[in-house]
Amino acid sequence: MISIHEIRKKYDGTAALDGFSLEIAQGELLGLVGPNGAGKTTLIRILATLIRPDSGSGAIDGHDVTRDPYEVRAVVGYMPDVPGVYQDLTLEEFLMFFAEAFHLRGARKRSAVERSLSWSGLIERRHMYVEQLSLGLKQRLVLARTLLHDPKVLLLDEPATGLDPLARIELREQLKRLNHEGVTVLLSSHILTDLEDICSRVAFIAAGKNVPGDKSILKIGAATAAEALSCEIEVLGDGAAAATIEAFADARVIEARGKVFRVEVRGGQDRAAELLWHLVTSGLSVLRFDPRGPDLEDHYRSLFGGKKP
Amino acid sequence: MNPMIGKELRQRMRERRGWLLPTLYLVALGAVVICFYYFEVAARRTFAQNNLQGSEIGAALFLTLTYAQLSILLLLAPVFSAGAITLEKEQRTLTGLLTSLLTPFQIWWGKFFASSLFLVLLLVSSVPVLSLVFAFGGIGPQQILLGTATTLLVLGTVTAIGLYCSAYFRRSVYATAVTYAVIIVITVVSAAAFGILVARWTAQQEALRAQQMREGQVATATTVGPPPLWVRAPLYVNPYFLVTLSFAPAEDWSNDGIPSLTVYLLLFLGSFAFAVRQLRKAGEHT
Repeated sequence: MISIHEIRKKYDGTAALDGFSLEIAQGELLGLVGPNGAGKTTLIRILATLIRPDSGSGAIDGHDVTRDPYEVRAVVGYMPDVPGVYQDLTLEEFLMFFAEAFHLRGARKRSAVERSLSWSGLIERRHMYVEQLSLGLKQRLVLARTLLHDPKVLLLDEPATGLDPLARIELREQLKRLNHEGVTVLLSSHILTDLEDICSRVAFIAAGKNVPGDKSILKIGAATAAEALSCEIEVLGDGAAAATIEAFADARVIEARGKVFRVEVRGGQDRAAELLWHLVTSGLSVLRFDPRGPDLEDHYRSLFGGKKP
Repeated sequence: MNPMIGKELRQRMRERRGWLLPTLYLVALGAVVICFYYFEVAARRTFAQNNLQGSEIGAALFLTLTYAQLSILLLLAPVFSAGAITLEKEQRTLTGLLTSLLTPFQIWWGKFFASSLFLVLLLVSSVPVLSLVFAFGGIGPQQILLGTATTLLVLGTVTAIGLYCSAYFRRSVYATAVTYAVIIVITVVSAAAFGILVARWTAQQEALRAQQMREGQVATATTVGPPPLWVRAPLYVNPYFLVTLSFAPAEDWSNDGIPSLTVYLLLFLGSFAFAVRQLRKAGEHT
């Protein structure tokens, strides 16, 4: 759905993008991660047709971002890091205007606005002026705006910036919902826990390039048979829990905090499921069983340095 | 309809200046009429100059009102145009427009239409004040139409220049300052340049005439009649000159009116083309 090949862009002689490549499949929710100045925003702005690359190519749904900008815009919803709103319009007027800007007219326009208002939970506030909304609600409004024309692809640049925890959770849920409905999402963010929660893959970018080797893309929550899963297990009572866990061939207790154990499981998710079956059949009352693939934060640290706090 | 137009008009009419400026504009024009009447009519009558013709008063009043109207509208035009695109940059809404299906031309046209419409609204709202001249006579419908058309052309050009500055600069304050600087150049600087060139030309002609007379030749050098093109050239960008031509005889139109109109049309088209080009690459800077 999104294809980026050897894309390059310089600003005043400094390379913002230096040959970055990426393929994103239809229906995928991919996170884009890298330090500040790595080129994430430049890449997203090129895909949104705001900037022309110096060389290389980018295509969305088969349309070249440089040659066919209007075809690309018709299938893309772009949300910048600091989304702008017209403070002196009502929510409905704001959405009506952008619906018209996407060539929606008459009944199609009204139904797109209704759908966006109800989808974003802003329908009750439709006659309020935008300036009366909180930052979180404005962010929601801008996301509703990007969805007006039913885009196949969403390009989101730091959409959670400035949001309080509740608004962040809400945004996360909205993105999951959209992705479930088949929308392909490219999401740039510094909030690794959010990416870990919603993305299927995370791509790493540094100094405008792909991170070298097999570390440039990380699959989230899908450990291969060779990879170890980190599994958090909470049990009820029973002092013999650690021994029961260790009795399983591919499991090793790394940390025990009362009734909570952090366990390394070898052999991927199938093996983790077998461990759960082993614990239950051994008579342990398991309150929580949370297997996780390679940790995004650890992976990020290994790529870009920095110690665990 | 271009969606930009509806949005722009809605936003502009919600601003306080949407009603405040027309009010102040009409108060200012009304003050001009009262001052004119007092100084030109009432004061002269006091000094027993009763031989004033109504048509003379009408023509003078109309010219005064047209100049006053043009001056006020030239002051107001940058207020509506120079901030039109920079405001979108400042409130970060321009990226939303540039990633929609709106073309740079549609964005420009929406901004131009809304900015100009407001000026046209002011122009129309002053019709009752202007119609006072009919009480005196001396002004025909052709002159009124020409005066209005040239005023509209000047305002359209200044609006286009303001929009170009707005597309070029990131901050409204710079765009507004540069637009006012351009207005000062086309009004004050062009008039001053004309004055300097006329003085130089007159001196040259007088020196030549004196030389011709000294040498016993027939003195052909003269300062009577219109100065040559190189002296008149600065006036072609002067909006007051163009508007004044509306009251001039037809032959002056072919001499000075057409070049002046051409200059304004070129300024308008140039500002339009550069503004659209600037909008096309605006994504690089927003």
